[in-house]
Amino acid sequence: MPSRSAGLGRRSGVLAVGVVIALLVVFPVIRLGYVVWTEGSGHLDEVFSEPALAEAVANTLLLAVAVTVVAVPLGAAVALGLRRTDVPGRRWWRFSMLLPVLVPQFVLGYSWTQAYARAGFTDTVFGLPWPSVLGPWGVWAVLVVNTVPLTYLLTAVGLATRAEPDLERAARASGAGAVAVLRDVTLPLLRPSIAAASVLSFVLTLESFAIPQVMGTPAGFSTVTTTIYRDLSLGSDPLSFVEAITLALLLVAITVIVVVPTDLWLGPRLRVNRVADSAGAPVVNPRGAGGRWIAAGLGAYLLVGVVVPLVALVTTAVTPAVGVSPTPANWTLDNFSAVINSRTADALGRSALLALIAATLLTVLGGCLAVLERGRAGRAMASLVTITLVLPGSTLAVALLIAYGRWIGGTLTLILLAYLAKLWAFAHRPISGALDRLPPGELQAARASGAGSLTAVRTVALRPLAPALVAAWLVCFVTALHEVTMSSLLYGPGSETLAVVVLNSAELGRVGLTAALSVLLTLVMLVPALPAWLLIRWLRSPRRAGDAAPVGRLSHAG
Amino acid sequence: MPADPSTGDVLEVRHLTVEYDGVTAVDDVSLRVARGEVLALLGPSGSGKSTLLHAVAGFLAPTSGEIWLQGRRVASAERAEPPERRDVAVVFQSYALWPHLNAVDTVAYPIRRRGSGRRTARAEALDILDRLRIAHLADRRPAELSGGEQQRVGLARALARHASLYLFDEPTAHLDTHVRGVFLDELVVRREASGAGGLYATHDAEEALGLADRVALLSSGRLVQLGTPQQVYAEPVDLWAARLTGPASVLTAKVVGAHDGGASVDLGGSVVEVDSTGETPVGDGLPLLVRPGWARLGGELRGRLLAVRFRGPHSDYVVDTAVGDLLIREPGPPRYATGADVTWTLSRTWALGAAAPTETKRSLTELPT
Repeated sequence: MPSRSAGLGRRSGVLAVGVVIALLVVFPVIRLGYVVWTEGSGHLDEVFSEPALAEAVANTLLLAVAVTVVAVPLGAAVALGLRRTDVPGRRWWRFSMLLPVLVPQFVLGYSWTQAYARAGFTDTVFGLPWPSVLGPWGVWAVLVVNTVPLTYLLTAVGLATRAEPDLERAARASGAGAVAVLRDVTLPLLRPSIAAASVLSFVLTLESFAIPQVMGTPAGFSTVTTTIYRDLSLGSDPLSFVEAITLALLLVAITVIVVVPTDLWLGPRLRVNRVADSAGAPVVNPRGAGGRWIAAGLGAYLLVGVVVPLVALVTTAVTPAVGVSPTPANWTLDNFSAVINSRTADALGRSALLALIAATLLTVLGGCLAVLERGRAGRAMASLVTITLVLPGSTLAVALLIAYGRWIGGTLTLILLAYLAKLWAFAHRPISGALDRLPPGELQAARASGAGSLTAVRTVALRPLAPALVAAWLVCFVTALHEVTMSSLLYGPGSETLAVVVLNSAELGRVGLTAALSVLLTLVMLVPALPAWLLIRWLRSPRRAGDAAPVGRLSHAG
Repeated sequence: MPADPSTGDVLEVRHLTVEYDGVTAVDDVSLRVARGEVLALLGPSGSGKSTLLHAVAGFLAPTSGEIWLQGRRVASAERAEPPERRDVAVVFQSYALWPHLNAVDTVAYPIRRRGSGRRTARAEALDILDRLRIAHLADRRPAELSGGEQQRVGLARALARHASLYLFDEPTAHLDTHVRGVFLDELVVRREASGAGGLYATHDAEEALGLADRVALLSSGRLVQLGTPQQVYAEPVDLWAARLTGPASVLTAKVVGAHDGGASVDLGGSVVEVDSTGETPVGDGLPLLVRPGWARLGGELRGRLLAVRFRGPHSDYVVDTAVGDLLIREPGPPRYATGADVTWTLSRTWALGAAAPTETKRSLTELPT
């Protein structure tokens, strides 16, 4: 019976996915809790009475709140500015707003220190240093810059799917001005999206490591993640180990306390069945309504947040030593030739290989999950995987280390497992979203024509899904390539990734070399990203051409 | 402010052109809506009727041309007033009800924006809901309303605006005739009370002809014909307009003589005297429009039934004649079976292309010879 075998296939698929989730996430986290319970007994009082721990927790919470409070309104404002007005060059702005997340977090933080700290770029060029860039203020600012693209994207998606332009037009036609419409219609409709953006911003700040590490630690500002790193990589006494695993557990506990209630509230409110109008357009033709001001604001944000720091980074990389004036006459590639050695090359090779394997496996895993999700058991699995999205990387790394460290500790395999566990949701979301956007009729027509669920997906859905699959692969590849939170906790001799090499170089205070490595790490991303991006464009083009053809013909006839 | 509110046009559109995304959606359209008048914009999807409506509402700015409301210029290529400062109300195609507001607050919204207090606004909103017979749904949000109920709330919100021009963006497209009748009646009462006008976009000819005082036919953003429902139905400017406004047959016949209000037509051997408005040209191979009621079964002409369709109150007969296929509509159930030899006669025709030869050239080439 074909139906029974299909059901069996689905059930074994769910089972297989379940086993992978159990091994990658559930068992390690349970094991972490168990070890904290056994190892910690007797030490926990000592650990908790340490003021450094309380300070780290307080810093982390304060930082998360401070970043969220600023990044969410900024992101929403950017979304409204780009989707509801006629800013000149909207397409270009939409792309460039994502620049801050294309730069590795570590590199972004490091380049800020090169740009704004004392003896940095603005100090030497304009005599304008910002000394507190090292410390909580700098960490906060860079985290905001890094988070805004995300809150912008979430709000923009909310605008596209929930705030149908006619709803706002109806308010305008009812006599409401632009401000009243924003207050009475747009913002209430966006409330779930904004809440989701707030939770994500809060959680991502909680688990951020690279930026606090590179900008906070030198100034004595510690967070939970940097404390875990310090305890595990520098501490040697059992107490610091207990502190690390306790903090790891505490971090996930805080996350759960924040995420679960909001998720329960948000879950039903974020579900939308309508096809997103991703283009977005001004609801009411806003003849010259401040479009240029919005463009100027966005430009200033990108200039201060990304462009100046990256220019400073490149300048540092081509300047022979600290104190040498960064004028073209002094430029040299010495730093680059110094860092391009066999150690860097090995690390680069390992990073590329890891990212390649991880991205490929993750695309397959994410695709499987997206397909299985359409069944009831699969849906539970998908929810579980989505939860891993907010499982802090530090916690995950510590948990995996405790669970499997004794066999594969310090190997690339353990790092790979960590990537798979952490990034599964990253691969799953775009694929699942693309599957949702398929007109249900297409799959149903395939089923009605005698195709099983997997056959229907393979024959009917794979072609329209291809851009999402490539995009998921690309997101996983880039994220894995830049990953430093887990890699820095899990690497051993001979398994450093390039990101870890850069981090270590920064800790050794080798400014020019670190800058050169950072430039390298950022540019490496382009090697797969450009072809993949072109591939996505190519995959989408026939469809677009097909849609446009009749219009073209009509206009020629007329 | 209008000088004399009792006379004059509510809306005047002068040479309006609207382009967006590189497409000319409305192309040099001029029209007026008088006080107390409903003008229907009839056209297929993509004909520009929604764009025209959006330009009048203030959602789109003109590329060129002007829009005048109540004798005041509200939009030109240089300056376009925002919708909230135009005296218009809009009923949206997709209802456009705010998911977070219940029915009474939705209807109270335009009243609140006029500056009324919450209590006054709600009372008035309830009154309007009551007139549309949905006062019992006042506390419900859109998700808890059926499509028809949502439609009525959308209409109630527009009525609450007390506008001098009501814009309808194909609002009744998916409603059954009973519900449509109920609130069109309500509208007529409303319109006469406030002396407002209506601009009603639709692709449904029956609705446009039955509801409007005048009908504007739109094709590819251009105004093809503007007239009373009777005019556009009986004297369509070309075959395209004829097909758009209702069922039509085209006979290719020889007109042997024409006089004021009538013509002598040779219909395959016998010459028949028919009514015909306008100036009917004399000649051979002329396309003559025949509406289903303009011919009847029984008479001196011969034909064979190609198809018979029972339509409830009437039956449609498609007759194969010497001058082309002809659709005849008669009351009652079918009297003949398909394939039967029947006789028929013609009482009226309209010579296609008689009214506006320049505009019909395009369509005439599509006619069978």
